[in-house]
Amino acid sequence: MMVGVLVITHGNLGYELIRSAELIKGRLGSILAISVDPTKGVEELKKEITAGIKKVDKGKGVLIMTDLFGGTPSNLSLSFLKEGKLEVVTGVNLPMLLKLPDIREEKDLTDLAYTIKDYGRRNISLAGEILNKKVDSK
Amino acid sequence: MDVSLVRVDNRLIHGQILEAWIPFIKASCIVVADDDVATDFFRESVIKMAVPSDIEVVVNSVEEFSKNHSYNEKNGGKTIVLFCDVRDALKAYKFGFRFEKLNIGNVHSEEGRKCCTPTVYLCESDIEGLQFLIDSGVNVEFRCVPGDKPVDFRDLIEEHMLP
Repeated sequence: MMVGVLVITHGNLGYELIRSAELIKGRLGSILAISVDPTKGVEELKKEITAGIKKVDKGKGVLIMTDLFGGTPSNLSLSFLKEGKLEVVTGVNLPMLLKLPDIREEKDLTDLAYTIKDYGRRNISLAGEILNKKVDSK
Repeated sequence: MDVSLVRVDNRLIHGQILEAWIPFIKASCIVVADDDVATDFFRESVIKMAVPSDIEVVVNSVEEFSKNHSYNEKNGGKTIVLFCDVRDALKAYKFGFRFEKLNIGNVHSEEGRKCCTPTVYLCESDIEGLQFLIDSGVNVEFRCVPGDKPVDFRDLIEEHMLP
């Protein structure tokens, strides 16, 4: 059994992130993308999210990943927050999605959410900075 | 405060405001004039967390904001004022908040919607409200983000809504 995941983003970013992650890692399972575009009303989107949560929830809770804190996908997701049942992580990136399958079964929702947040942050790097450090340490 | 943008957006603070309008206007203050947010601590906190910390956020009920005239002193930083619907913008106008231009961003009227642009659906009373503002000398434009071409409400009315 694993934590369900929804990727909710501006436009099709979520679909494409999942597609790219599956190219690298294979099928992710219990994951769905919801795209927020300006032509959809708030109530319509909330219904879509409610249906999405139901679909991916296998009893271990749901992690919602959104693209931008303060954006509509996040704002809507926050209204579904429920401790132990639903967590929201913002700033979704590819490394986060790739990490998911490795830890989704062993960790509970809260632990998973913290781990994914830290992992996403750690995987942003400035290549020049890394190279300079290597040169310096020689 | 120096009011540079008055906008109707049923999403209030969201991506388009944070990433497009704030940098475009170089705003240093955002006013959310909304009765629901003013009484909802959670939503107010989320809004304050979402806006970059160097920008002041003021959350007020529509009435409280409109009756406080600090926006008339054009000496402070550039300010964006947000209402969630046409009704609130009109209410503020009637309470004494005067503006020359009203920007319509995202509106999804739930009842009796009439599609004006892909992101704006107005009901009869919205259209009447906007008509009142225009008759009072307010320019009403439809524009989601600064880079879009503004559409004048009067042109739209002529195109779509005349019987």
